[in-house]
Formats: sequence, structure tokens, C-alpha cells
Amino acid sequence: MSSEPLAPNTGPAPRRRAGISRSDKIGALFVLPGQLLMVFIVLFPALVAVYIGFTEWTPINGTTFWHAYKNWHWFSGYTEAFGSGEFWSAVWRTVLITVVCTFVEAVLGFTLAMLLVKDFPGRGLVMVYFLLPMMVVPAVSGFIFQMLFQVDGPINGLLSFIWPGDVTLQWLSDPSLAIWGVMIADIWQWTPLMFLIFLSGLVALPEDQMNAARILGAGFWPQFTRLIIPMMRPILLIAVIIRAMEIFKLFDPIIIMTQGGPGTATQNLSVYFYRLTSVSGRWGYACAVALLVLIALSIAAKQAIKPIERAQNESLEELMGAGAEDVPAERIEDAIDAGARA
Amino acid sequence: MKKVLRIASISVFALFFGFPLYWVATMSVKPKVEENPPGIVVWHPESPTLTNFKDVLGINNANDNPFATTDFSALTPLKNSFLAAGGGTLLALLVGIFAAYGIARFRAGGAQLPFQILQLRMFPPAAVVIPLYFMFVYLHLWNTLEGLIIIYGAITFPFVVWLMRSFFQDVPREISEAAIVDGCTQWGAFFKAVLPQVKGGLAATALFVFILNWSDFLIVLVMTQDKWTTAPLFLSTMSGGSGGQEYGHQAALAVLLILPPAILGLSIQKYLVRGLTFGAIKR
Repeated sequence: MSSEPLAPNTGPAPRRRAGISRSDKIGALFVLPGQLLMVFIVLFPALVAVYIGFTEWTPINGTTFWHAYKNWHWFSGYTEAFGSGEFWSAVWRTVLITVVCTFVEAVLGFTLAMLLVKDFPGRGLVMVYFLLPMMVVPAVSGFIFQMLFQVDGPINGLLSFIWPGDVTLQWLSDPSLAIWGVMIADIWQWTPLMFLIFLSGLVALPEDQMNAARILGAGFWPQFTRLIIPMMRPILLIAVIIRAMEIFKLFDPIIIMTQGGPGTATQNLSVYFYRLTSVSGRWGYACAVALLVLIALSIAAKQAIKPIERAQNESLEELMGAGAEDVPAERIEDAIDAGARA
Repeated sequence: MKKVLRIASISVFALFFGFPLYWVATMSVKPKVEENPPGIVVWHPESPTLTNFKDVLGINNANDNPFATTDFSALTPLKNSFLAAGGGTLLALLVGIFAAYGIARFRAGGAQLPFQILQLRMFPPAAVVIPLYFMFVYLHLWNTLEGLIIIYGAITFPFVVWLMRSFFQDVPREISEAAIVDGCTQWGAFFKAVLPQVKGGLAATALFVFILNWSDFLIVLVMTQDKWTTAPLFLSTMSGGSGGQEYGHQAALAVLLILPPAILGLSIQKYLVRGLTFGAIKR
């Protein structure tokens, strides 16, 4: 057990007595089923993956995975991955999709949240309207955009209204366009999540500070950059982490819209794994590559979880207060000064 | 002027986010000829019909129903979806609630355990299912409902732990201590005193997990075949007798797939932010 407390204020800890206390035992009982489930679904498969990763095993010729050692080849799977152009291009594509989508979703979501933060009649309904895309099953959103992006489909149809002549873009079969098609589908579906998270932050902005700045004549832009953004920072961070980590895993819409194609134009890591096993039948190699990615991710995950953990122990107001901790007094004055100068 | 600009920008957003849903909804009531005619775009259904829904649900036994002849309507996949998602949700809750309480109340498993649990959600399922696939084949869990339920439960378990932990942390410690003073055991205190305090959060967590499981495509793609196909996978494999796209039928099933999560999701609107951020932002 680690002695270093990662969460400094998780509420009062149970008093420690010498040896194993009764409450420790009960606590252990509470988490036991969960730990067993994790062993079954994570630890066990992980060990199997390590084993298979050292072999060039495939189930296609009928050997069970126990006998994979017959095709033992040590680290050649790993060295092959490091030298494989297809692997690295899948990595970069995953990073590209993650960065672009997270950024666009954050910007659009923030803009929409700013537009809807002030109350007006019917705001509740408008909110629901904008939340709907998020409720759509991702595979279904892939299907919807597959329809929309047909050459004879409505997106080209709409573009034909504003562009002279008939627009006949091959959205999903042109290698340079397909990746944008996939990203547009993700942006459509998940901007609402960013919007919702940001809106709940904006609504909780401390009114008196905002009012003080406004009354004293701070314009919109100084208010925005010096008050709103710093206070929203912890929330922005959490939203971006959560979205980035989901987009990294993106699979369903891609498979439905393009199957990773044309060629490998939309093949991110998830699709690459899937194709390695179900198309190429290279299970041993797939295990090696998967382990490489999982090791890299578990290092990243550790950093990514920290802000979420920290936030769990605080209320929204405390969270935003922490974001503005070193800000308040001078920043407000700055904002006001800037407003007065303008 | 400012107001006009604001309303105009909101309208642009509304168009972008609404149009895909408009398209799938209208597509589901379009007759075959209006689905995807070459060279023209049918912006709104000229003669709306419910045939697509009837076909997909196997109610319509007319000769032109492509799913009547194959004796395989979307009914079975929809039923499978409910069973697998429901079962997975029960398993995740059963295991997750206790773990969450153990972590929140007793810090069981040490400070690292919550991290390890959430880490699971960061791994791409596409990588995790590779060893699971042949493990499940070996254990005869592949293409079974039990197998699906175990994986769904395990994949959404971290989510339950983190969300429920945030709800348990809101419950003052004194509540369970008072129950123990009154003669309850730790278990009794948990069931009688603590659990009733988090009813709302528990219901929201359950619905969340159900939606997550309902939305799965990857697991069912790798882990099942024909018999236990769920609706999202069925949707992607649907094609007519001629092998062409079946937009109308697919859209009808798409609408049926969207409805449960949309209704459930909106009914827990109050907890959406909290759920979507693993309990980090309490709203």
C-alpha cells in the first residue's frame, strides 16, 4: 500500500490503529468483488497478451493460444512495430484527430456556452436541443454522417447552394477528405459535452466579482481574458482531458463511415488494432503493439487523472475559486483599469 | 444589434447540430424512392410512411419487406441490446457500489486503487479486447450473453466507482456512525443509512451505465456473431436483398436506437455534468 496520500483532503480518514484494524478489513471486503473483476478482465488478459506478444500466433490455423510458444519469436513483434510505417502513421493520425477535435470542440462548446449563459424564456428547451447529439449512439452517428456525406447527399447539396455549380465532393472516398469527415462527425456529436460542462462552470461564476468588473466599466474582452478564463481553467482542463481521452479511443463512427479507409487514410490506433486481428489475422503482433500503446497510455493516464481526482473533493465553487486563487484582487483591478482605458 | 448577432449565432449552431438529426428522422419515414435518388436531394419526405419501422420490427410481412424473408428482423438484436446492456449495468452496479463505498469511507485498497480503476477507462477497448477475445473463446464465453454482460460490467465498473464515490463523499460520516451506535453492523449501516442518502445519485449512475452499454459497438463486433448481435451492430450490417444500402430501414432502426438514451439522458439532466466528468464537476 502506498503511504503517500495523493488526495490531501478526502475528508477525515479513519483513525489508524496498530496492526490491521476492523474497519480496514471491512473496507477490503467492500472492494474485493471489484478487484476480482479487474483481475479477471485486466490482469489475466494482460498476462496472456504479454505471452502472445512474444509469438507469431494466430487462431486461424486452429492452434489454441496455449500452444502459441511453438511460434515463439521474442521481441520481433516489438521491433517490427517500431519500424512499421503503418503503426507510426496510425499513431500520428490518432494524435491529429485527438488534438483537432478536442480543440474545435472546446472552442465551439465555449462559444455556445457563452451565448446561452444569460437566461431567456425557453432556455431550458434550447439546452435540451443542443444536448441531443450527445445522446446518439456513436455507431448511429457514424451511420448518420455516412448518409450525409454521400456524393449525392445533403451536405454536397447544401454546399451547392452557396458554391457555384454542383458540388460533388467524395467526402468518404477521397483520402484527403475522409479524415475531416470523421472529425466533423465527432465534433458534431461531442461539442455538446464541452458546451454542457462549460455552461455549468459559467453559471457558477461568482456574480459579485463579475458585476463589480462590469459596473466599474470593464469591457467584454478584459472580463473574458482576465476573469472568466482564469476562473474556468480547472474546468477547461478537466473537459479537455476527458474528451481527449475519449477521442483517442475513437472507433465506432470510423468503422461505419470508412472502415479506416480509403486505404489507411482514416486508420487510427483503434482501427489499426481491429484490422490487425480481423483482417490480417496477426494476433501475436497485435498483442505486442497493443501492449506498447497501453504502456505509453498508462503513463499519460496517471497525469491525466490527477486534476479529475483533485476536483472530486471540491465543490464547483471551490474548484473555480482555486483556479482564480492567485487572481482575484489584482486581476479585477487590472480588468477594471483596462476597461476604463478602453 | 448585439442581440441580433447573438440570436444569429445561436441559429447557426442550431442548424449545425439539428440538421443531422432532422435528416435521420425524416429518412426513417421516407419511402424507398425518396431515400437516396441519384443526383437529387429530397430535402423533406414527400409521402411519409411508417413502413420502414414496421419492416424493421418485423410487423410487416409484405413481400417487399427485405427482413421478412430472412426471418431476422431488428427485434432480436434490440432484445439482445436490452439484455446485455441491462445485465452489464446490474453487474457494474453490484460490484462498483461496494467498491466505491469501500474507497470513499474506508480508503480501502490505498490511494492508488482509484487511479488503477480509472486507468481502465483510458485504455482503448480495441486493444483490450484482443486478448479477451481468445480468452473468451477458450472459456466458452465468446458469443454468449454471459460473456457480453461480464465485459460490459467490467468496462463500466470504473465509471460506477468514480461517480458513486463522489456521491458517497457527500454523505456525512456521522450518518453511518450514528447507525452503528444504534446497533447496526457496518453492512446494516451501509444499506439502511447510507444507501438511502444517495438514491438519486444511484439512479443517475444506473441510467448512465445503461446508456454507455447500450451504445457499445466494438465489444459486440468482436465478441459475438449472429445470435447475440445487438442493435448497433445489426444496423451496420443491414442490407437489402440486393446487397445495397437500406437507408430508410437503417434510419428507422437508428431512431429506435436513439430514443432510449435520449429519454433516459434527459431524465437525468441534473446529473449529466457530474456523470460525464466522473464526478469531478458537481452540478
